[in-house]
Amino acid sequence: MENVLSILFCLSLFYVVVTSRVKAYVTVLRVQGIILAILLMIPFIYHFSIFGIILPATLLLVKVFLIPRYINKVILDLDIKRRIEPTIQQMVFLPIVIASMIVIFLASNILSKSTELNVIPFASGFSAIVIGIYIIMFRKKLIVHVCGFLILENGIFLFGTAVASELPMMIELGTLLDVFVVVFLMGIALNRISNTFEGFEITDLGRLKD
Amino acid sequence: MLEFSIFILLPLLTAGFCYFVKDLRIQYSISLAVAVLHLGLSLLVFLGLYHTQLPTFFSVDSLSKFFLLILSNVYFWVVLVSFSYLKRPVMPKAEEGKKYYFLLINFYLTANSAAMLSNHFGMYWVASEATTLSVAPLIYFYRNEESLEAMWKYLFLVSVGIAFAFIGILLLTLSAKGTGLEGKQLFFWEFVRNAAQLNPIWLKASFIFIFVGLSTKIGIAPMHSGDIDATSNAPSPIAALMSGSLRLTALLGVMRIFLIIRPTTSYEFAKILLIIGALLSLFVAFVFMFKVNNYKRMLAYSSVEHLGLISLGLGVGGLAFIGAMYHAFYNSIAKVILFLTAGNIHRSYKSREVGKVYSVLTRIPKTGWLFLLAFLAISGIPPSGIFFSEIKIFEGILFSDKPYLLAIVLFFLLFIFINMGKIIFNMLYQKGKDEKPQTGTEKFELTHFISIVLLILLASVAIASPEILYKNIISITKDFGMNL
Repeated sequence: MENVLSILFCLSLFYVVVTSRVKAYVTVLRVQGIILAILLMIPFIYHFSIFGIILPATLLLVKVFLIPRYINKVILDLDIKRRIEPTIQQMVFLPIVIASMIVIFLASNILSKSTELNVIPFASGFSAIVIGIYIIMFRKKLIVHVCGFLILENGIFLFGTAVASELPMMIELGTLLDVFVVVFLMGIALNRISNTFEGFEITDLGRLKD
Repeated sequence: MLEFSIFILLPLLTAGFCYFVKDLRIQYSISLAVAVLHLGLSLLVFLGLYHTQLPTFFSVDSLSKFFLLILSNVYFWVVLVSFSYLKRPVMPKAEEGKKYYFLLINFYLTANSAAMLSNHFGMYWVASEATTLSVAPLIYFYRNEESLEAMWKYLFLVSVGIAFAFIGILLLTLSAKGTGLEGKQLFFWEFVRNAAQLNPIWLKASFIFIFVGLSTKIGIAPMHSGDIDATSNAPSPIAALMSGSLRLTALLGVMRIFLIIRPTTSYEFAKILLIIGALLSLFVAFVFMFKVNNYKRMLAYSSVEHLGLISLGLGVGGLAFIGAMYHAFYNSIAKVILFLTAGNIHRSYKSREVGKVYSVLTRIPKTGWLFLLAFLAISGIPPSGIFFSEIKIFEGILFSDKPYLLAIVLFFLLFIFINMGKIIFNMLYQKGKDEKPQTGTEKFELTHFISIVLLILLASVAIASPEILYKNIISITKDFGMNL
């Protein structure tokens, strides 16, 4: 089950790589949020507890409803153009991503021989981290950078479930809250940037130099 | 429970209070009271006169005691000066920034104290991310383009950096697979005690991720750029707070993982990584001091340089480690003086560009002299404490297995000193083009008083060398298993 969900997660990454619409990024964030929430809920199918449901429910609330809604609102308010502006074309980007993912999956497979880990969720999580960074590097729009950052965060979350990290619930909730506030602050900053600068692209931010 | 309330809950409540009470004077008084309490209690804890009993996830050891005292000290002076700073006339747009100043600064204290006192990697992560969140809006205080860009870059870069640190923490969990630590939580000391059993490959990976991630916050090259922009565009008290305490919070995280890695075979690797980061930072400061034309950026690069020196001390170990600890303390004080006086210069000249600032010594003599003294102090001219801590670091390097590093470091430091000196002397002495001869009179302000007190503190602590400070630093050194 975990493996199936992780592969779905990987497919969502491919979609994000080839799409050229900003809205698609938000949809992908929603889908990834749902996948992560289901992943967290799996252990509670057999041992149901109200206490254990808090974390998946919060995750669902933050990653599927609050953050995507907020990003959509920012896109609408600022009237950001619907198309992303890449610095490299999709057809170049896709092979780079595929090559990176192959390397990550092979490396994870080799590493799994010395340490016990779930290869597929581990490699999927790591791929999302790498792709998040690629998106930040190869896209110009600041709002897309925020989405890239969130994909990276989702990747870390999946990665965390793969290594079976033992973070207590309070701290998991704390991390979710932190991520939400980061996105919230970035949204406010984007609003200000739209009032102050000409556009919403990284090339507009070039005043601070030595 | 009292200490938990004062260190963490009280600032949090004050932040909430500042949201509802709009009067700046009341906000200031209550924040100052909290700062005094915080400083008093952390001093008592440091002196060993108060024994703490903190709840789960928090505890006190020699290192956190020491860094907490540095934080309290810097925070107290920054809050003290804040009100007079906020009273200064600013652009109408910036009036909005004042509303949330005390709220955010109190939240910063909560988050930073929590990060310093945490004994759990997860807690540390949440708290140090919260420090970024509280500081980012403060960077945007002036509400202008530069500060907005600086805030965006800082928020983005540091958030990604901290996300990397989180990967590092997850890898640390992975390194504990199949050992007695599995199933237990990520408490620092549990890991330190069982470090020898950890899987070395994952531990190395974990160190790389945590060090690189937190470098964005410490300002270690090549991840320093967001930090430089933020420090140079934030209002002076906030810049002082960032240079004096926030960078150390991030350094604490690196030191924690460094402590875990010490008894393992990956120790040498971690040391080399720290030394490379440190040398790169010194190199970056060395290069940019040649071309920097903004005096606040110059001070930010100076922070990169000094944090680099501290990392170098950690990496080299032994006597250099002790020097690095002293250096963390002295550097935090010197940076407060430098940024506060730089703030005064900014107010008088309305510019951060070096070229537009001239005859500071005749136009605003008090600030000018204090700025000069602070520059001499940060450059390690005795009796400033920086002199003694740097000498210790140099001695440590000389007697280590890598004495040649000393030549490289001294070369960089010499040119940094010359270039910084050139910029500062130009600001202080050079006459303006169409300037009429005038001798300014400058009112004696709170910033001057604070600068004088801190300069005295900087020299007197170094000369008196209190036994308790020495003992505490030795105790940290012992925790790190260094042989002297």
